[in-house]
Amino acid sequence: MTYKVTEEGNVSTVFLNGEIDMDVTETAKEVILPLVDAGKEVHLNLKDVSYMDSSGISVLIESHQKALEKNTKVIVKEVSKSVLKVIMMAKLEQILNLE
Amino acid sequence: MNLSESKDFPVSTASLKEVRVFSREVFEKINLPQEQKDELVLAIAEAAQNIVKHGYKGVEQTTDRMEIKISLNDTQLEIGFYDKGKPVVPGNVQHRKLDDIKPGGLGTFFIKQIMDGAVFKKDQQGWVNHLVLTKKI
Repeated sequence: MTYKVTEEGNVSTVFLNGEIDMDVTETAKEVILPLVDAGKEVHLNLKDVSYMDSSGISVLIESHQKALEKNTKVIVKEVSKSVLKVIMMAKLEQILNLE
Repeated sequence: MNLSESKDFPVSTASLKEVRVFSREVFEKINLPQEQKDELVLAIAEAAQNIVKHGYKGVEQTTDRMEIKISLNDTQLEIGFYDKGKPVVPGNVQHRKLDDIKPGGLGTFFIKQIMDGAVFKKDQQGWVNHLVLTKKI
C-alpha cells in the first residue's frame, strides 16, 4: 500500500493505493487517525484500492468513530467496486459516509 | 474438473499478500466469475489472517509455517488450512454482531458469508489445527 495526503483548508484528503490488509493497517491508521485527532475533515479516496479485507474495514470503522468523537467527519470517496462489495458485506454502507 | 494445490507460508502478516497471490493463481485455472474468485480469495485471506492474529497471539516472531491446500473435486471446493499455533476451540470462534459497530471481529463473518462450511478437523497429521472450508461452486 502507498498513500498520498493533500490539504485544502480544513480538509485532508488521503489517497490510498494498492491492497489493504493486516500487514499495512497500522501504517494506514498512522496516516489517518492523527488527521482526525487534529479535527480535520478527512476524505479517504479509495479509487486505487484494489483489495481490502476485514482489517481494512476496521480502519474505516475506527476512523469514522474517532471522527464522531472529535465532531468532524471521515468521508470515504470513489470506492472501487471490489472494496464496496466488502463494505456492503459488513453492512456498513449506511454507517460510513460514502460518496 | 479436479485440482489440488498446496503451498506453505511463514506465519506472518507479511505472508498475507503471498497467500492471495497463490489463491489467485489457483483460481485462474478454474472457470468461475471474477466476483466469486475475489470472494474466495477474501475468505482464504481471512482464514490465514486468523491464524496469524489469533493462533499466534502474543508471539512476536516465529519460524513456524502454515499450509494452505486448495482442492476441487468436480464442483466441490475444499480449502484446508494447517497450522501449529494455539489449539482452536471451535465453540470460541465467533464473529461479532454486525449491529455492534466496532473495529475487528469481521473476518470470521466474511468466511461464513462466503463459504458453505467451516469445520476444524481432528486429522491434523503433525499440525495443531486443521480448518476446512468448503463450497459448492
